[in-house]
Amino acid sequence: MSDAPETKSAAEERLEELKNRRAWAEELGGADAVERHHARGRLTIRERIGHLIDKGSFHEVGKLTGNGKYDENNEVTGVTPAPYVMGLAEIDGRPIAVGGEDFTVRGGTSWGARRRKGGQGGFVEDLAHEYRIPLVNLIDGAGGTVTSLKSRGHSVFPGIFGFERSVELLGEVPVVAAVMGTAAGGPAGRAILSHFSIMVEGTSQVFAAGPPVVKRSLGQEIDKDDLGGVQVAVETSGTIHNAAKDEDDAFRQIRQFLSYMPQNVWELPPRGATDDPVDRCEEGLRKIIPEKRTRAYDMRKLIEMVVDRDSMFEIQPGYGKAVIVTMARLNGYPVGVIANNPMIYGGAMDAKAARKQIHFMELCDNFHIPVIFLVDVPGFMVGLAAEKEGALREGMRAVYTAGKMRVPTFTLVIRKCYGMAGMATCNKNGVDMKVAWPSAEWGSLPIEGGVAAAFRREIEAAEDPAAKEKEIEAELRPFASPFRTAEAFEVEDIIDPIETRPFFCKFVELAYARLKHSLGPQSRAGVQP
Amino acid sequence: MARLEVKSEVTGTVWKIEKSVGDSVAEFDDIMILESMKMEIPAPSPADGKVVEILVEEGVAVEEGQVLAIVES
Repeated sequence: MSDAPETKSAAEERLEELKNRRAWAEELGGADAVERHHARGRLTIRERIGHLIDKGSFHEVGKLTGNGKYDENNEVTGVTPAPYVMGLAEIDGRPIAVGGEDFTVRGGTSWGARRRKGGQGGFVEDLAHEYRIPLVNLIDGAGGTVTSLKSRGHSVFPGIFGFERSVELLGEVPVVAAVMGTAAGGPAGRAILSHFSIMVEGTSQVFAAGPPVVKRSLGQEIDKDDLGGVQVAVETSGTIHNAAKDEDDAFRQIRQFLSYMPQNVWELPPRGATDDPVDRCEEGLRKIIPEKRTRAYDMRKLIEMVVDRDSMFEIQPGYGKAVIVTMARLNGYPVGVIANNPMIYGGAMDAKAARKQIHFMELCDNFHIPVIFLVDVPGFMVGLAAEKEGALREGMRAVYTAGKMRVPTFTLVIRKCYGMAGMATCNKNGVDMKVAWPSAEWGSLPIEGGVAAAFRREIEAAEDPAAKEKEIEAELRPFASPFRTAEAFEVEDIIDPIETRPFFCKFVELAYARLKHSLGPQSRAGVQP
Repeated sequence: MARLEVKSEVTGTVWKIEKSVGDSVAEFDDIMILESMKMEIPAPSPADGKVVEILVEEGVAVEEGQVLAIVES
């Protein structure tokens, strides 16, 4: 062998080129661009994927994609990677498809090539679709750019690289979108086409268009954080579901969200481990409802006493606060809990609360996660502001969506359950149960106010109208007892508050056994009001 | 020592102020009770600490998001 030439074989050269090309991909937009990105308090896309997934589980797809640079002999001297990194990975040992724009390459703007790695119609979505696994989009891109107009030679018709696959995925697999930087236009839209979206306080903004376009269109001068930061996009508009303190908090929330989700609509949600006994009967549940029926109480504490310890994951905690929607587990089984919040206008349903509840009901229904309603709702929100924002229409959409649900639901009336908003807290499909605590009261409207309206003439004619009103109220009140409704079998049972956890655990286990036989995608028919 | 704002979650009126400036409070202790939608809605302390300012009086109207009191923690 000693007389063999020192030159490399062609095979060795090809392997070396592969190694080089992989190394260029790892360099992203170059050391300077990466440093600038870090200086803004942001992780690179490769770091983001690394922080999100199980250690060492990333199997990259399309790593060699980019713009090659060649010398006069056609030898490659470098490759600027495509501004999107994606592939397969695992979270808690379960496969996912994951991808995100690389901001260090041209600000993560759309990749000009015909075949795309990510973004609208990207291959990462095909991976999620074909393997029926969840998709996590880590969005940090400005979307389309006019700079590609010249290189492409024509302008792109909207929808040619459209959202068809993104839309299709919403009925198939869990889709999570994390806005990691500033997202405008297409990437902002892509963030919303998801089951769960999140953004980072201070470093993320999301809007249809950023400050320069706003200034040119409307003459408004506004800072990008004032236009599309957490305060607007999460707390006010509900455009994005949750806010994260920093990037790692966003990854933690994504992992937690996915822990309740099945891999797809053809599989059951995964049962988690729990050491919380099924028969944990919290004495506190008997005391949490104030004797005075007009006094509010802390519904979150109530939920904590019922579900598995530390199993709550609230979605949209800062939006539509009259209702609380949270993932949780009962004896390890994932459930969705929808609870009215008496601390916010007595739990009256306004337009925002209705929208939040509608999304959550659809999410649970789509992924076969049983729903538990903890009801304390006096009705739809009233007043001019509520009427103007369309609380009545949004509220009826909630009623419609509740009525369309096919996943098992369990309704527990804690205190008030009145009117149409009450209807949005249950459906009457098959196994669905309605039970109540002894503190429950219900009807088409409360006796107070109801009496004043129905017996107006009688009350006005009385010598002492106020006393007459009280007298009629007192006469009617015994009939409002929940036990009378139970006698008529209009509720299936009334339970002692401390029996709540064992009751739910029992029925959720049965619900899961039944769900095995009704998996698959939903067919949606009808028109939402 | 952090100054924490106790904000109103609702538009309504101040019904009853339960704590005074200088009172020690535990997290979730009600500082005052508001009235809105015919409901008594407590405004609890966000942390263990001391009430250093009460910014409203009983009977006044308050807006959603309005600062009602300051707790030093």
